[in-house]
Amino acid sequence: MPRNPVVLTLFALPATLIFLLFFLGPFIYFVVMSFWSVSLFRLSRDFTLVNYLDVYREYGYSVAFTFAIALLIAVIATLLAFGFAYLIRFRAGRLGPTLLFVTLITMFGGYLVKIYAWRTILGTTGILNTGLIELGIIDEPVSWLLYNPGAVVATLTHFLLPFAVLPLYGSLRGISDAQLAAARDLGARPLRMLIDIVLPQCQPGILVAFMLTFFIAAGDYVTPRLVGGTATAMAGNFVENQFITALNAPQSSALAVAILAVSAGTVLLLRAVMRRTLAVR
Amino acid sequence: MTASAATAVASRPQADRPPLVRLRGLTKSYGSMVAVKPLDLDIQSGDFYALLGPSGCGKTTLLRMIGGFTEPTAGTVEIDGVDVTRMGPERRPTNMVFQGYGLFPHMTVRQNIAYGLKLAKLPAAEVETRVKEIIGLVRLEQLAERRPDGLSGGQAQRVALARALVMRPRVLLLDEPLAALDLQLRKAMQEELRRIHRSIGGTFVFVTHDQGEAMALANRIAVMDAGACVQEGGPEEIYGAPRTRFISTFIGEANVLPGRRQGGRVTLEAGGSFADAGADEAVVVVVRPEAMALGGNLPQGAVKLTGRLADSVFLGPYVRYRVELPGGGEIILHSQDFALRHRLAVDDTVEVGWTTDVQRVLADR
Repeated sequence: MPRNPVVLTLFALPATLIFLLFFLGPFIYFVVMSFWSVSLFRLSRDFTLVNYLDVYREYGYSVAFTFAIALLIAVIATLLAFGFAYLIRFRAGRLGPTLLFVTLITMFGGYLVKIYAWRTILGTTGILNTGLIELGIIDEPVSWLLYNPGAVVATLTHFLLPFAVLPLYGSLRGISDAQLAAARDLGARPLRMLIDIVLPQCQPGILVAFMLTFFIAAGDYVTPRLVGGTATAMAGNFVENQFITALNAPQSSALAVAILAVSAGTVLLLRAVMRRTLAVR
Repeated sequence: MTASAATAVASRPQADRPPLVRLRGLTKSYGSMVAVKPLDLDIQSGDFYALLGPSGCGKTTLLRMIGGFTEPTAGTVEIDGVDVTRMGPERRPTNMVFQGYGLFPHMTVRQNIAYGLKLAKLPAAEVETRVKEIIGLVRLEQLAERRPDGLSGGQAQRVALARALVMRPRVLLLDEPLAALDLQLRKAMQEELRRIHRSIGGTFVFVTHDQGEAMALANRIAVMDAGACVQEGGPEEIYGAPRTRFISTFIGEANVLPGRRQGGRVTLEAGGSFADAGADEAVVVVVRPEAMALGGNLPQGAVKLTGRLADSVFLGPYVRYRVELPGGGEIILHSQDFALRHRLAVDDTVEVGWTTDVQRVLADR
């Protein structure tokens, strides 16, 4: 390594530039934008809080609804993924790598494909309805399976599962078999072992899994449109609307900043709660 | 002289008491692969017991069956008169020091050691006294608040030991306890283990592939090979009176000379013969290097062989000679006659020999 500060600065320059240009810059611009306004399709660069007031007045319900649905998806996906990652790491033996590989493959298996797959499953002429009719459980197809928040939860949970499995598997891999054997040897039953030994060491993995699923679910606007029906308007849909149809970038920015703030707050809260409950006593 | 009466059998004062650990017909097979053949073993209270054998001989499987981590295919494990065969490790009066230690990285040294006692719901004051006492015993006072990733190998080893010992197990099990340490540290830890065993007077059972380690630590050794216990006894007995050719070469260094017994007389392939009662069969004669004599030092009535001196090395406490025999075999010999070395040159024709009371004649199977 060269010690010369000038050379060191030069070495760090490309990475710093990329970070500033592509991450920090746009983010600051988008936060600043949320305090501007639009009148007669022209951007007015005066500081105003009107966008945030509108978020509260007009989109308050939508933000709360988005928060609730994203939380539900993130919790279900993280729990399922934890079970699956645990299985791969500790129970599947030689089958483990194969299961992990399959998980990885489904991650690349297309987002829209999964949405349409769920439409095929839940639709009135879908697999579920025809199956139930064939079995004689129902006489005619039920329509409430699709186009509701439940369908959004199912679809997004399915899509996001692999995103949660990978970080969880990563942190479970750091726990050696000898640790679990030792805990058992010292008298720990399975549940105690999970709480005392496994979960504390999984905290980073749980946090990343939750964060990925929660942020993606909270920002999604394609799934609700395709399987959510008219009653399921998530905040992402309004961001898209304001930005593309109404050409009101400041308003959509304010909405996005609001969702981001709520999401970041949730993740920080989860981290604090985990640290507290899983602390070694 | 034959296998029956070579060296004094190691004394075992408590041998008349019932054993602390009693294994009967203990077997483990994985499909058609037999890891441990039906095995009987008694371990007395206070023993420092070694399960010694090459890798894959089943010694670790046996230890894990005693600890309850591996379920036997057949047979019973009895500890202190109680049949624990169907009990998990959490219910057995045993604790184990694992290979790789398995320390909990998110806990400090003190928390690691206290974990088992807290699970047992002991009063906080007692947990504290017992942890403090054991930390003193393994000399970890300075490191009690550190986490495992800040410890050296030897320190981590002592934490693992303390975490198991603090539970006051009837039997402490150790799986290759010193394998991960370098030679210097291994020697120091051997001494440390002996001191700890002496000071708490418990029963330790450990697995090792290192015969030197077994000799240095154990008062009883079970030598295992291919899933079976091939000899069990004190270190002197196993070194002095190995029962098979495998044991004689696995434990210490040995010269193994093939020959044949015919009409009460053994004739070696390399020449030399002596009277030896027994059936007519192929035999090997086992002689330790330090029991051999060279040149003018041959005692009266020694079995003698002639060969070419191929090498001599001064090793400090003794000189190591290698003598090549005409038939293609060789003899290793340790001698403390340092003057002799100057009278001999490599390529000299020399006589080597030993008296029959230091040899072991074993059927060659």
